[in-house]
Amino acid sequence: MPAPALRLRGVRKWFGSVSALEDVHFDAHAGEVHAIVGDNGAGKSTTIKIVAGVHRADEGEVLVNGEEIGHVRSAADAQERGIAVVYQDLALVECLDIAHNMALGNLPRRFGIVLDRRRMEREAARVLKDLKVRVGDVRTAAGLLSGGQRQVVAVARAVRMDKPIMLLDEPTAALGVQETAHVGGIIDELRATGKAVVIVSHDLDFVFSHADRVTVLRLGRTVGTRRVDEVGREEVVGMITGAVPPDAPHHDEVA
Amino acid sequence: MTVTAKPPSTQDRPAEHGGARDSLLTKVLVRQETTLVLVMIAIGVFATARSALFLSESNLTSILRSSVIYFVMACGAALLVIGGGLDFSAGAVFTLGALSTCKLLVEGVPWPLAVPAGLAVCCAVGAVNFAVVTYLHVPPIIATLGTFYMLTGIDNLVTDGADVLPLPAGFQRVAQGSVLGVSNDVLIAVAVGVLFWFLLERTRFGVNVRALGGNRQAAVGNGLRVFRLDLALYVIAAATAALAGVVYSAQVGAGQVTAGGTSTTLNAVTAVLIGGVSLMGGMGSVQGVAVGAVLLSLIDNALVLTGIPPQYNSIVIGAILVSAVAVDHLRRARIYRKR
Repeated sequence: MPAPALRLRGVRKWFGSVSALEDVHFDAHAGEVHAIVGDNGAGKSTTIKIVAGVHRADEGEVLVNGEEIGHVRSAADAQERGIAVVYQDLALVECLDIAHNMALGNLPRRFGIVLDRRRMEREAARVLKDLKVRVGDVRTAAGLLSGGQRQVVAVARAVRMDKPIMLLDEPTAALGVQETAHVGGIIDELRATGKAVVIVSHDLDFVFSHADRVTVLRLGRTVGTRRVDEVGREEVVGMITGAVPPDAPHHDEVA
Repeated sequence: MTVTAKPPSTQDRPAEHGGARDSLLTKVLVRQETTLVLVMIAIGVFATARSALFLSESNLTSILRSSVIYFVMACGAALLVIGGGLDFSAGAVFTLGALSTCKLLVEGVPWPLAVPAGLAVCCAVGAVNFAVVTYLHVPPIIATLGTFYMLTGIDNLVTDGADVLPLPAGFQRVAQGSVLGVSNDVLIAVAVGVLFWFLLERTRFGVNVRALGGNRQAAVGNGLRVFRLDLALYVIAAATAALAGVVYSAQVGAGQVTAGGTSTTLNAVTAVLIGGVSLMGGMGSVQGVAVGAVLLSLIDNALVLTGIPPQYNSIVIGAILVSAVAVDHLRRARIYRKR
């Protein structure tokens, strides 16, 4: 088997004297959806932010295609290494319109300096159309969108980046049933195009519908990783609550 | 499957983002500049009724020339505020820029070298402001106020409180000369205005600045180099304050230690806020700042011409400032009402 698209090994993180992550490890593979679940405070979002370059791990390794990416110091670095992220807080700028938000961090230019507004709007409209997202005009300010619309715009933005690794932090948190199914469809398509998709979610129904593997975190530690088609919901819930004991150290990867 | 969430209705769309279905009239009416232009017309009508001099060519030119200083300073200050920062050191940087340039000029350094050197000194001050805010985590208002006081002391120490002169005629022509009947200082302001409009509205940098001020966390999350942007903004704000000081020196023919100071800082910040730049960051335009700067200078002029005691100047400006920000807030609350 080739090296995992994304591998975390023994990742630890402190915020001052508070330990956020004690030992997080998992492998996410290309062409698979890898879910990370856990209770509040388990360390899911912190893990995502370390991979995304927002936080730096105090110990441990983050490897992309087998290569340590220890020098990721910012989200820009992470993007250069092929990682696109949809944050739980969505990271949209309310005073900018949809097209600007979707291109932020990678705005198209003409003549090396002038913002190519038409291309930006055309690309945004195309990506939204491809994803069958209807949010009206791409010149609509993000501040005017509903929670669900913001979420799909944030997902669409990550899709536009077209990176081999996609991290989605609670991609369905603000969505209704129909919108959740829509985002699930987008995630399925991303897997079909060979991307490694990592989703953090509280929604076990969503995880069992769309993920290939699930890693459970508890109190900043990896409890274990299972193939979704080989594990029952009760076992996953037991791993989340602590009723099921953690796997032996570094014995969790599923072949 | 298709998400069919209701798109925002037409009246919800903010005109500054070019909602496709807004009429041109709606777009014009909701802009802060429109309100300010109406206020300017009202003041103009009042001043014309009280003084025949108001509409004379020389008086209108005088209003425009005195607004040059406010506007040049306010361009850099506005960019910084849109990017989520604030600079209260502008008045002292203004003086430092003027004095350091004039000191070099009286030493015989030609103005094409002296001006960039004076601006460079002030850019270094901008970098210090950035460093204090970013690395020492001092809030911008306090960091730059501290800089203001320290520089005011340094400005006085360097000159012993005396004006720096005489300045070479070549340098004075930088502001006092004219091209095709338009005075050079106004041309400088137009050039600065066009440059800043271009930067803010037509470049990646401008969008990144709005993103930084609009939602810093989002800017970080989207991979923007926020420290670089912060540094650029503080340096640019210092550079425009210094440039305004240099232009002022060329206008009056001396490096005056008393020229900048608290009132200059406040005028720059006031022009920015009256011009519709949000202190919350992210929103504002160079056109608005231009109207704000001209309005400040118009009020000064109209009150003098109509014989109203100067004490009323501050009262009027204060009232317009509060009204402008309140109207702006109400409009934004309507546009960005919470769902």
